[in-house]
Amino acid sequence: MAITERAQHHEISTLYSNHHGWLHGWLCKKIGNAFDAADLAQDTFMRILGARDLASIHEPRAYLTTVAKGLVINWYQRQALERSYLEALASLPEQQAPSPEQRLMILETLHEIDAMLDALPPKVRTVFLLSQINGLKYDEIAAQMAISSITVKRYMKQAFLHCLVFHE
Amino acid sequence: MNDARMVKRPEPPDLRILEEAAEWLMQLSEGACNEDCDAFERWGQRSPAHAVAWARAHSLLNKLGCLPPALAMPALDRTSKARRRAVIVRLAATLALAPAGWATWRAIDAQQWSADYRTAVGQQRVLRLADGSGVTLNTASAVDVHFSAAQRVIRLRAGEILVETAHEKAATYRPFSVRTPQGRMDALGTRFCVRHDGDTTHLVVLDGAVRITPANTRAAAGQVLHAGQKVAFMADAIDKVGMADQDVIAWTSGMLVADKMRLDDFATELARYRSGIVQVDPAVARIGVSGAFPIGDTDRALAMLAATYAVDVRTRLRGRWISLVARSGAGTKNS
Repeated sequence: MAITERAQHHEISTLYSNHHGWLHGWLCKKIGNAFDAADLAQDTFMRILGARDLASIHEPRAYLTTVAKGLVINWYQRQALERSYLEALASLPEQQAPSPEQRLMILETLHEIDAMLDALPPKVRTVFLLSQINGLKYDEIAAQMAISSITVKRYMKQAFLHCLVFHE
Repeated sequence: MNDARMVKRPEPPDLRILEEAAEWLMQLSEGACNEDCDAFERWGQRSPAHAVAWARAHSLLNKLGCLPPALAMPALDRTSKARRRAVIVRLAATLALAPAGWATWRAIDAQQWSADYRTAVGQQRVLRLADGSGVTLNTASAVDVHFSAAQRVIRLRAGEILVETAHEKAATYRPFSVRTPQGRMDALGTRFCVRHDGDTTHLVVLDGAVRITPANTRAAAGQVLHAGQKVAFMADAIDKVGMADQDVIAWTSGMLVADKMRLDDFATELARYRSGIVQVDPAVARIGVSGAFPIGDTDRALAMLAATYAVDVRTRLRGRWISLVARSGAGTKNS
């Protein structure tokens, strides 16, 4: 046990010292921001800590970029969500604006729900949000989306099931 | 008791049961009546696996229900930018509601969970302490009790308490105090009410007197409050002293007593006693509400409100999302 752990530790160290600088540069070019790129580079190595058989990887840089790409997509989604959230906050009248800690809690919940709904098809997602966030009735959603009420109900059930499986 | 066994996670419910739960949620989201909700509740009691699925459904609705639509929709909806704009504009027009119920965000303070005694939303509880003193916890409240040979300390971590100190029976007198993050209140033989809300502590003295020492001031800077007085204080300052009446402890007899209280303030008060959100349309926020409303049955309190004032109560998500809006057909002018 200890030996394989040590061996893995050694492989990670090698991978890190050989490719960390390069990965950071690659990420910088992708997202145009050295600060977040450093975080994402770190996250990438954290992500592969648990991977088995690091020694059998022939193209370490291809492997690293595959992992990093997933994290970059995630990062873009979080950025987009935060931007929309800040825009919406700015458009609220001042007396309706939540306090700083409420803002943070709402943002965290939004990230959580966003991740939960991530795998849903866009139409299902929109139907679900119109119902659960905006409180529209099913026939109102059907009219707005130009789909049948039966489809709305099917989407709703699909979304709820997805959330129940995902949400603990 | 084996701790590891106690915290063991329940088995994930099987997909068939989750599908049934999803079917329930789909039905309930389209305007459910009380019987439907009761039926779903009974469904959740059929087996431990049903209970797990039910709890998940419940917590999911809670999570969704706590999000203010004006913020959540633009952030979560990933359809085209133009459409997103249209949604914002429509929301601004139709859903410009004051977030009175956001108080619930504060109520979910993680600190409460490790407290010695606590109450859930809508619950009250009377504690009889070792020295004979009584502490009544109002809704969503949490306290720690530290009694030692030298002193008696109640730490109010969240919510509101009514304290009735007993005459000290121990051979040596031990001072009795209530602490909040904003400071300490030393009881000088007394009955008083303390509410901890965000960065402010509200103190009302009903009998006797209480000395206040804000956390960030020297002990000498404290102030004594007498029966019939109330004051709010923060860690570094004490507000102006006002006159208090018995209405502030109406909650101990299950009532919320309002005397020309603004509807939005009223909604904030009432929201303390129910889980979920109570929103108020700005058009009716200034209506002055008077009367005694039951806090043990907030649905009835809302019905009473609608019966007395030109306000409609809109209910969504099994009553977790309440909107108080101007009665359709009625003008917004009201007194």
